[in-house]
Amino acid sequence: MKCRKCKAPAEVSLPSHNTAFCRECFSIYFTRQVEKAIRHHSLIKYGERVLVALSGGKDSLGLMLELSRLEYDVTGLHVDLGIPVSSPAARAKVEGFCERHGLKLHVVELAKHGLPIPDVKQYINRPVCSACGKIKRHWFNRVALEGGFQVLATGHNLDDEVARLFANTLRWDAGYLSDQGPCLEAESGFARKIKPLYRLTEFETACYAFINGIEIHTAPCPYSSGASFTGHKQLWANLEYTSPGTKIAFYDGFLKRGRPAFALVDQETGAPLAPCETCASPTSTGVCGVCRLGITVAERRAADPGRQPGPGKD
Amino acid sequence: MITVFIEPDNETMTFVRLNTVLMLQRRLGLRVNDALVIRGEELLTPDCQLKDGDQIRVRKVMSTG
Repeated sequence: MKCRKCKAPAEVSLPSHNTAFCRECFSIYFTRQVEKAIRHHSLIKYGERVLVALSGGKDSLGLMLELSRLEYDVTGLHVDLGIPVSSPAARAKVEGFCERHGLKLHVVELAKHGLPIPDVKQYINRPVCSACGKIKRHWFNRVALEGGFQVLATGHNLDDEVARLFANTLRWDAGYLSDQGPCLEAESGFARKIKPLYRLTEFETACYAFINGIEIHTAPCPYSSGASFTGHKQLWANLEYTSPGTKIAFYDGFLKRGRPAFALVDQETGAPLAPCETCASPTSTGVCGVCRLGITVAERRAADPGRQPGPGKD
Repeated sequence: MITVFIEPDNETMTFVRLNTVLMLQRRLGLRVNDALVIRGEELLTPDCQLKDGDQIRVRKVMSTG
């Protein structure tokens, strides 16, 4: 297989684009996809400070590297979930990556804020992935606003976005369908949220990480087995295999024709937001969901005889 | 014999007869873009020939949370 551009031996085959690239031409293709996303959706202006959420995986670290190469003013944010074994490993990858590339990094430790994810799993009666996502999004936004960042960037790729859109569509969730997309403008206490990798698949971001020698955290979260998200991704991988190009067509079609319609519906039904009474994050319920989680976890932890401080315990 | 190390499962498999990367992917039940197929520092496309003694890494790309 030859590179479509320079005819050198190809290293990356992309059936969705009916093409293949050598590693040099693939890097150019990757950069152009990111630039196209930024340009078409006005994601970032030069001079703006960008906070990049870093999990330690291929997508977030690849995004950070690419944005820094495009000379955007980027700072990494890692949320240490406090999960034994898994979280220290992920954090080490993020810290090593930022040190190697001379990139700024801010770390939030959930244990210091009373919400380590193992406690959330133990004391909160709802799917832990849902609560964990809520807590992470809370801290992404809070650090962005408190740190004076104009933009919050996440490494969501095309597979993530299509799986999420599919899940939202299965529920006909007008609220989420009204604002899913590569850019969510800043408003009502929220920083502008962007997804510059939305045009690139997981395979492409994995190739980019490999080609650029990025050491990534690959172990799956010990709490995420059975997540419906993974099943949806499998389903879409089958569709893409039989009809290459289906994912980007579905997502682009939604952005052009679906989202505007749902945005109109949400304007009529969306609840007004006000600052949380405890942390000032925007909420429609007085005290925000994450502060309520914190209160519940603290109460149940205090009432748990297995967690009482005593001889032999810290 | 071709030795294949599968990530993130940390599983090693050996195959006696495998001519191409595509054959390997089919034997593992993987679609073309489900995983990186790596030999040394090189990424392999599905048409690449495999040869006896190859050490191959298969890195699945789907993140699960």
